[in-house]
Amino acid sequence: MKNGLIILLGLIMIAGTAFAGGQGEAAEADGVTLEVYHYRDLTDSISTANWEELIAGWEAAYPDVTLEFEYLFNEPYHDKLQSMAVAGQLPDAMFLWPGKRTGYVTGSGLIKDISDRVGQVADQFAPAAVAPQGPNGEMWELPEQVTATHVMFTNTELLDELGLEYPDTLEELIAQGPTIRAAGYIPVAMDNKDGWQMQSTLLSALVARTGGKEWLDAARTGDGASFTDPEFVGALQVIQALSENDMFSPGINQADYGEALNAFATGEAVYFVDGGWRTNELVKLMPEDAYTYVEYNVFPALPTDEVMPGSSAIIAGTGFGMNAELEGEKADAAWDWIYYFAGPEGSAIKATQGWLPAVKIDLPDDIPPMLSQLALFLNNTPGGYVIDGVMDAEGMGVLHPAIQEMMFGNKTPQQVAEEYEQWVASNDSSRG
Amino acid sequence: MTTKQDKRLSYVVLTLPSILIYAAVIIFPVMFSLVLGFTEWGGYGAPVWNGLKNYSRMFADQIFLHGLRNNLLIVAVSVFGQIPFGFLLAYIIYRRLVKGGRLFETMIFLPITVSAVVVAKLWNQMFSPSGMVTGLIRIIRDDPRFVLQIFENRDFAIMPILGVILWYYTGIYMVIFLANLQRVSPSVIEAAIIDGAKEHQILFRVVLPQMVNIVFTTAVFAIAGSLKSFDLIFTMTGGGPANYTTVIAIYMYLNTFRYYNYGFGSAISIMIVALSLGLITLIRSVFRRFEERYE
Repeated sequence: MKNGLIILLGLIMIAGTAFAGGQGEAAEADGVTLEVYHYRDLTDSISTANWEELIAGWEAAYPDVTLEFEYLFNEPYHDKLQSMAVAGQLPDAMFLWPGKRTGYVTGSGLIKDISDRVGQVADQFAPAAVAPQGPNGEMWELPEQVTATHVMFTNTELLDELGLEYPDTLEELIAQGPTIRAAGYIPVAMDNKDGWQMQSTLLSALVARTGGKEWLDAARTGDGASFTDPEFVGALQVIQALSENDMFSPGINQADYGEALNAFATGEAVYFVDGGWRTNELVKLMPEDAYTYVEYNVFPALPTDEVMPGSSAIIAGTGFGMNAELEGEKADAAWDWIYYFAGPEGSAIKATQGWLPAVKIDLPDDIPPMLSQLALFLNNTPGGYVIDGVMDAEGMGVLHPAIQEMMFGNKTPQQVAEEYEQWVASNDSSRG
Repeated sequence: MTTKQDKRLSYVVLTLPSILIYAAVIIFPVMFSLVLGFTEWGGYGAPVWNGLKNYSRMFADQIFLHGLRNNLLIVAVSVFGQIPFGFLLAYIIYRRLVKGGRLFETMIFLPITVSAVVVAKLWNQMFSPSGMVTGLIRIIRDDPRFVLQIFENRDFAIMPILGVILWYYTGIYMVIFLANLQRVSPSVIEAAIIDGAKEHQILFRVVLPQMVNIVFTTAVFAIAGSLKSFDLIFTMTGGGPANYTTVIAIYMYLNTFRYYNYGFGSAISIMIVALSLGLITLIRSVFRRFEERYE
């Protein structure tokens, strides 16, 4: 009996080992196999069909390269990527962010610098997409798109109904508040429960106006500027003024991401501040003719002089990068996938779903008109930095709650700026 | 014939697997966290020893102190709310002081059968600015911009969450007490009734003394569970707005898994364990006194 149990246990272990190794060997025999870690929401049925088409295109074009995907979404994606990096078990290719969102791996030397390969195809992409991502000109990933994190979506139908016009200045915008509220509408729909929305979709654009890229570069590195400068405090004062004048959605700091989108899509809000990526949802949620009355604007002019007038905040998007250890045909195969995903072939497939690519291609004729509006907006709008794209994520844990407290009336813009500057001076990696 | 050596060998062989599993899953991570708590480590390279810096940083951080305050409020609600309330409900059903006891039992127990994440989403949806309750109040007050201000108050934002915690977990304590009340001999209660004991005398003089041990056990559950509360609060508010509803476990999660401060995160997790052990020791000494009194 005892001997029988030992033999059984032994057999189970041997079988487990054999099955664990078997799959890899079988795949390896057919050509190059790459482990690819991707950021995907598997519950999103709309994007799934497009993804399958993308993969079918890849398989047809590169039959000798087998991709073994693993998918996760949102924070679990980052948690696992970090764990894999710490354990020294990074996959061959992985989905990365150009800024500090995946700085925990891109700054660790575990991701290959692909700037040489990108340099050979850079002329095919929008300049913002192929801008350096590392401190020494490194590129960790090839962006699939360029994103504007600030768009002031405007419902001109409601403006006409109320006898108003798009405001030229902040003062004019605030002056519209009583009229809009009296009619039962929300002046500026935003949701900020998570805190990043105000920083990413409004403050970044305001800082681009008040300080521009040069000032933020200087404040970031502490080279003759700091976050207590009038450039940053002034931008915070704009948010405070909007909050004090009841311009935002009621309970903005309690509202989940998506509530403001719904309010705008259902005609409850005149303006809606969010990123350009909201276009796809607006196309799905709003009537077909919405493009005739939804305008893509930037925030009105500020009372102070603007360094970059009429600007938004623009950032290169996500894309795939590769493990630093890859060499030879595996590295070539990984690059093929990276370029396929963000380049003309993959982007043409993604564009059919309403995706604005970073690569310069002719968009399909049948894309929603609102998407063409976004393309026009991106072409014509100057862009500053997105703050959380250039500053450490941990610092956002200081800045975001401080802005919320300011909106509750518990802190002044100066205090928020001082608190953030204090954290940056002692902790942010940009200050060395 | 089995020798003493054989017995020892069998003992070692039989207990070794569970000891190894326990060591791998509990002892090693706790010891590793304990050591890591005295270092600065971002996940790469060798951890750098920094003594008590993580602990001094923790106690100087207003977010940690506010989270600790919120955790202690949750402990208070659990120990002084869920347990007495759960016991009272179990007693009412056990003594058949209301009709339809089974229905109430099911109703009270039902919330705990639903995932904490689902419960959090439901309550969140009800009270969010576009939620049902807010919408109803807006109609009643004819104020389209009405929002529940309690969620934006640093001192009181945690209160609605405490209400949800009380509602959600009371059922489990009720069931525990109900199961243990079945062990109280009906003849003892009948004898007390014949002797002219009133209901409150039956409760406090006959039933409660027999429940001291189980009250202690539930208190240990409540304390340990309260100090590591995460899922419900994280899903409801994420600790916000402005960290008003944060708890130590959320603070630990953010520092460890979002900001990758493994050393600091380990120190926070050790603090959670230390607080749990401290409070459980305290409550144990209190219950010992109770036991002595009833003995």
